Amino acid sequence: MIYEQDIYKLIPQRPPIVMIDGFDGISPTEAHTTLTVKPDNIFCQDGKLQEPGIIEHIAQSAAALSGYADFLQNEPPKIGYIGEIKKCSINDLPNVGRQLSTHLQIVAEAMGIKLLQAEVTVAGKQVADCAMKIFLRQE
Amino acid sequence: MEKIELIKKVNEVLAEEFEKEVEELSPEKNIKQTLELDSLSLVDMVALIENEFGVKIPSADLVKVQTFEQLYDYLAERVK
Repeated sequence: MIYEQDIYKLIPQRPPIVMIDGFDGISPTEAHTTLTVKPDNIFCQDGKLQEPGIIEHIAQSAAALSGYADFLQNEPPKIGYIGEIKKCSINDLPNVGRQLSTHLQIVAEAMGIKLLQAEVTVAGKQVADCAMKIFLRQE
Repeated sequence: MEKIELIKKVNEVLAEEFEKEVEELSPEKNIKQTLELDSLSLVDMVALIENEFGVKIPSADLVKVQTFEQLYDYLAERVK
């Protein structure tokens, strides 16, 4: 598991917009990430992480999975863009202090665009799932 | 799987996913134009093919598969 500031080696985002605090690369196409919701998280309102924060957490989880391959080759992480979000359901807004636990898997890739499936749980209960397309800016 | 059966199934799953009539799909037609695929939806087709037929199409091969006939041939060589 990669934690805290070592995450910066995987994603280009920096505080206050870093939305993952743990990363475990299961394979080049599958990973597990975490985020503990802190009171000063910029996506929080009324003590709850809002929908854009959950989506950003999923997107950064995907970026970290891509960045992990770059990290293993001693290269800086590439900037990624969300191309599309499909079949997204958000069932709950996590409270401050709760930990998001996210499983994501790249299910297909074509011409530089990755299609991934993500599921976010809190204490074993699903709070969100979606299919997301991302593409990475090639330097 | 017999090729004629494969073609029928390919046409059915693509027509359903991309909301076309099966009759609109014919061997000589260009896939992207017929299904109105852009760079984002192309990956949906790749995922669908892998899910339905167990065949992963790498990007290097994808650029060579332009028509439905080419797709049928590509899959016929790889579907078990």
